[in-house]
Amino acid sequence: MKPVLALALLMVAGCNRASEAPKAPAGPGGPPPPFLLYQMRADAPAGDRLTTGRDGAALYSNNCGYCHLVGGMGTNLLTKQRIAAGAPPETALLVNRTDLQPDYIKSVVRMGKGAMPHQTKVDITDVELDSVAAYLAKAKP
Amino acid sequence: MKLTLPPRLSPAQFGAAVKAFEGVVGKDWVMASDADRAVYADIYAPGPETEWPASAAVAPASAEEVQAIVRLANEHKTPLWPISRGKNLGYGANAPRMPGSIVLDLGRMNKIIEVDPVLGYCVIEPGVGFFDLYDHIQREKLPLWMSVPGNAWGSVLGNALDHGIGYTPYGLHARNICGMEVVLPDGDLVRTNMGAMKGNKAAHLFPFSFGPSWDQMFTQSNMGIVTKAGIWLQPAPETVLGLSLEIPKEEDIGWVIDTLAPLKISGLIDQSIFVPSWLGKMVLKGQRRDFYDKSGAIPESRVQELLKEHKLGYWHVLVRLYGEESVNKAKAEIVKKAFKAHIETPMAEEWWRTGDPIIAVDPTMGAPSAVALQMGDWVGGRGAHMGFSPVVPATSKHVLDQLRRSRKIIADHDVDFYASFTIGGRFANNINMLMYDRNNDEQVANTRKLFDALVRDAAANGYGEYRTHLGWMDQVASTFDFNDHAMRRLNEKVKDALDPNGILAPGKQGVWPAAYRDQADKGQRA
Repeated sequence: MKPVLALALLMVAGCNRASEAPKAPAGPGGPPPPFLLYQMRADAPAGDRLTTGRDGAALYSNNCGYCHLVGGMGTNLLTKQRIAAGAPPETALLVNRTDLQPDYIKSVVRMGKGAMPHQTKVDITDVELDSVAAYLAKAKP
Repeated sequence: MKLTLPPRLSPAQFGAAVKAFEGVVGKDWVMASDADRAVYADIYAPGPETEWPASAAVAPASAEEVQAIVRLANEHKTPLWPISRGKNLGYGANAPRMPGSIVLDLGRMNKIIEVDPVLGYCVIEPGVGFFDLYDHIQREKLPLWMSVPGNAWGSVLGNALDHGIGYTPYGLHARNICGMEVVLPDGDLVRTNMGAMKGNKAAHLFPFSFGPSWDQMFTQSNMGIVTKAGIWLQPAPETVLGLSLEIPKEEDIGWVIDTLAPLKISGLIDQSIFVPSWLGKMVLKGQRRDFYDKSGAIPESRVQELLKEHKLGYWHVLVRLYGEESVNKAKAEIVKKAFKAHIETPMAEEWWRTGDPIIAVDPTMGAPSAVALQMGDWVGGRGAHMGFSPVVPATSKHVLDQLRRSRKIIADHDVDFYASFTIGGRFANNINMLMYDRNNDEQVANTRKLFDALVRDAAANGYGEYRTHLGWMDQVASTFDFNDHAMRRLNEKVKDALDPNGILAPGKQGVWPAAYRDQADKGQRA
């Protein structure tokens, strides 16, 4: 299931009233899944930051989640851009993209793009970035 | 970015220093390629990033490694520019003040050493971000709340050390610091307050030392490198009551301040109260060109139309009361009555109770967010901002005085007006966001001229800035001119005593060590 963008869209609209609080999407039976908000990123996976093989999904959540999970600044801006480009709004979440190439991801991370600042090797090491790029490039809806 | 050497250092001497640093932290954590330099640069620079170039960056993992690097920096005469996480966006980000400085990136020092839910404090390293601490508190289900700034991507300690502000009862972040560990410019290690005693149990609780208290000396400072510190945290409130109101007219800010400030000073309202102008909401709704498609400031007639279309007031007031429900109810009656004396519209009430979801983009609820950075998109292109931030007494007289003058200067420069007042006590931080497209040279040049004019004008009228971008540190420091700049003499006397080689953050906040005083901006250092 694609993460739902209702929250991100509400935030674009500048909602900040509790009465308008978005509800977590209903899961396929059972209780609703926890809403993966950008304040609750995955823990950084254990291990040396300079060695390969750490979990790309967790690295992505931990390093990029500030802005690129549901409701994050990057997701909000990309929602507008994707809609303007005629793409489905859920592709504002990078995990829903199917067209991202590893080299492109790495270049945007290191050089920045639009409102996205460039990231240092202390923010994300080269091997961590390799794992994230591989994870996003392979991510399918 | 090509290499800019530190002043008076040959390529060979620089190379030897880099090699020596590698011996401390390992090759991977010394970053000295053109690509590395390009990321230690001010993403929002009002001008080319090469104006504030780093020569390299080195990233230690412990206080011991910081000490070793500082000793080597003295030996090799390489100036260091410490950053915590380098997200000081609008004030220079991770770039150094003096060209050629080596950025000392403390981002790897990101341990949360201790969190005490009973006494309400944590002990953390400078690489701990607001999100990291928030995640930790949530996962451990600790009954503590943080105070976060508008852009909470950065470091908890770094923000507090740079006098950052938040919007909860703990909004004066530098006031929350209690008990530091500091590497001095000669590599010595000290602990302040009660922590000066080995094994002291109250190191992060009592806000003074036995003898002179040094904590604040290491904030906005180049006197030492803070390697860990205690930060006080707010006990989680049982309820939070929000009282909000759109305030229709620009000049209404006068009575709004006169209504809120006495309640803040008396302690009835304990948060730092944020009162933004309308553009604060609009920047989240789209790009400027969606609302006004010409260059130059949005004219007042269009502003009035936009306010009507989007049901916004010129200002937005959101008072939050934190604590037990019965107390908040009683306080709310007093706040509402005070507003009723000026405006018919009742304040909208909204309760948060323990267990309710927290709205993720609301810094008054202690949740970190980077959503405020969306304003970078407002002007389009490579959108950036600088904050012009004078401190004004929290009365209508001073607030309106500063507002009218800065408003006129900003209008004369044909720039959109986006101001906020944050009442932190007897004063308000008046933050004016100046947004520009870095791809537009004319806009950048105009913003710089505008900034100069604003600093000069505020100082001439008795107001100074609380914080500023790298490029204006000398100019703003010069405005503190009592007794022919006696404060600068004091700062630089202390600086020279502690840091005879001048290796630590030369020029930070306009404080220059003797070794690099010739590098100060001569036009700006009055």
